[in-house]
Amino acid sequence: MLRTVFLALLMLFLCFSSKNTEAKDVKVGFSISKTGIFAAAAGSQLNTYKLWGEQVNAAGGLTVGGKQHPIKLVFYDDQSNTAKAVQIYEKLITKDKVDLLLAPWGTALHVAIVGVLERYKFPMVGNSAASVLLRDVKAKNIWFPTSSFPDVQSTAIAEILQNQGVKSVSLITNQLQYTQENKKFIIPALKKARIKLLVNEDYPPGVKDLTALLTKVKSANADAVLAYTYPGDSVLYAKGAREVGLNAKTQVVLLGPQYGFFGGIFGPAANGLITMGHWTPYRKDWPNAKKFYDDYTARWKGPPDTLDAPMTQMSVEILEQAVAKSGLNRDKLRKTISSETFQTINGPARFEGVMNVLLPTMMSQIQDGKIHIIWPPKQATAKIISKPAWK
Amino acid sequence: MTLPSNRVIGLAALITFIFLGIPMLGSEYIMGLGLTLLMWIALTQSWVILSAMTGYISLGHAVFFGVGAYVMVLCFNTIPFILSIIIAGLVGFILAFVIGYPCLRVRGPYFVILTFGLAELIKFIVINVEAGMGKFGRLVFGAPSLEILYYLILSLALTSILVTYFVRRSRFGFGLRAIRENEEAAETLGIDVARFKALAFAISATVPSMVGAVMILRNSYFEPMDVFNPVTSFTIVSMAIIGGGDDAPGPIYGALALVLLQELLWANWPEIYMIILGILLIIFVLKAPQGIHGWIISYRKYGKYENS
Repeated sequence: MLRTVFLALLMLFLCFSSKNTEAKDVKVGFSISKTGIFAAAAGSQLNTYKLWGEQVNAAGGLTVGGKQHPIKLVFYDDQSNTAKAVQIYEKLITKDKVDLLLAPWGTALHVAIVGVLERYKFPMVGNSAASVLLRDVKAKNIWFPTSSFPDVQSTAIAEILQNQGVKSVSLITNQLQYTQENKKFIIPALKKARIKLLVNEDYPPGVKDLTALLTKVKSANADAVLAYTYPGDSVLYAKGAREVGLNAKTQVVLLGPQYGFFGGIFGPAANGLITMGHWTPYRKDWPNAKKFYDDYTARWKGPPDTLDAPMTQMSVEILEQAVAKSGLNRDKLRKTISSETFQTINGPARFEGVMNVLLPTMMSQIQDGKIHIIWPPKQATAKIISKPAWK
Repeated sequence: MTLPSNRVIGLAALITFIFLGIPMLGSEYIMGLGLTLLMWIALTQSWVILSAMTGYISLGHAVFFGVGAYVMVLCFNTIPFILSIIIAGLVGFILAFVIGYPCLRVRGPYFVILTFGLAELIKFIVINVEAGMGKFGRLVFGAPSLEILYYLILSLALTSILVTYFVRRSRFGFGLRAIRENEEAAETLGIDVARFKALAFAISATVPSMVGAVMILRNSYFEPMDVFNPVTSFTIVSMAIIGGGDDAPGPIYGALALVLLQELLWANWPEIYMIILGILLIIFVLKAPQGIHGWIISYRKYGKYENS
């Protein structure tokens, strides 16, 4: 009897002692748009999160207070729905009790969860989004590594149009958050650059066909077309533009051409399209950019997009460096993120308010099937070309 | 009008007491879940007053939820939020009454399509108005605490339950059910059919508008595509069908079953929960077409499961 009790106690002790020496998992939570209107674009964000988790765990874990801890990713499908995203982030914080949060996809969902982040004072580095709305309300627990804020981006687009000798423009805009913000700022920027706005039309997010709208754009015969699309409807734009023979020499398609699926559908026909984006794997002064491109391509059997995947990678790099310095304490983490400089695949990052002030605003263009930075000239990896006629 | 039995009153008091106590558990997750459950109870109860009692199936109740939310964001920080909730209810009532008169002239599938189309129309009007004002989503910062919102939704859920219960047992309720059974016969009996239907529509729109006004404070972000999401209307109809019947218990059972099942599946199998949920719903509709309430009544009556 005594021997049995002794053995049981010994087993219990061994169990507990082995558990204590094991590093505790760091739970990292986020919501992802696996279904709904953002699903077409959100895949690369999830791939990047998973790749990061695998790489960190393979290297021994996330460094917290000098010790390494394995990462456990906790995520749910938000169905591209803002109310669902709010519910998920509340659940991640209060029920799953995650240690760190990663961002959902897109500006609308980022904006939607800001209320939750502020209520629980939970810092989160955003990625696939930028909103002047959040900059203006001075949110304290979210930051955007991107430089594609609609106001400064609109200035850059107007400069490109001037550079190309554009005198008139047609503008079509999706009624979602980010594209509407861009529309708000491009109109005064065009006016300032003395460029005439011939067509200015909105279309709903769930649109299934843009042919009628693009026929109107074609008959206006403007020098340039600004298509403020989301990834899903960028395909409708390109298909429609090809069908109606919309061959303006300058065509800006805001969101879409950066993604792999776009190149897969249109191939060389997409050459010459200008789009937003401040990253390319071909910049020599961002040493880890090419490595990320290669790692992602090897892991997911295809290249990353040049917008969400690098921004997502930036956000986890910033988070990782901040946690290594300040641990998991939310107040310390907030202070570190908002004051330190971080090294990322898109160059150094430092935040003032919610904005990354070290990354200049840039625009990209598809040339020979590759994304190149074409603006501003100091940052460019290639010169701007005119859009050849659709084939 | 028959009054509820002591047993029913006791059971209702016990359930109310349990819901009143949820915030005291100190778990925001459970409180959030309770809030969601109460929201669906309130929405489904309201739908029952029009659709289950008159047989006019509305597939556009999301519009009232959205309109209530819109009223709240427009009034937020200008007037007390309680007043905004009341105004949202009034706007919902008037809107439904005004559109009810012409819309309720059509019946069956035409009415279903009309309500769905109307909801989409109002959604796109709001989207265009917002775009025209240069707005693209509105943030609602400084909303009341989750606890306050919970009690507000609880009171709206209780109100909707009581309204459904008493309407069903009133002369007005008998009139509505007579319309469902045979509208022409009801008219020959002296029922003012047009007024009854419009009033039922208006009553069924009031609480959803108030619920929308409260829920936008919880989500803290107004985006027309989401607040006018037709999935809200589909969910209400699903819950009413699962709950069954044209009385107050049906929506409670329906909301309880669907919310808890969804939460259970979502929390444990996030990757495949929609597939499991779909399969379970198909099995349920095939095996218990009269809904949970009908199944309980039939079980009590015959002491066993009766399918017809």
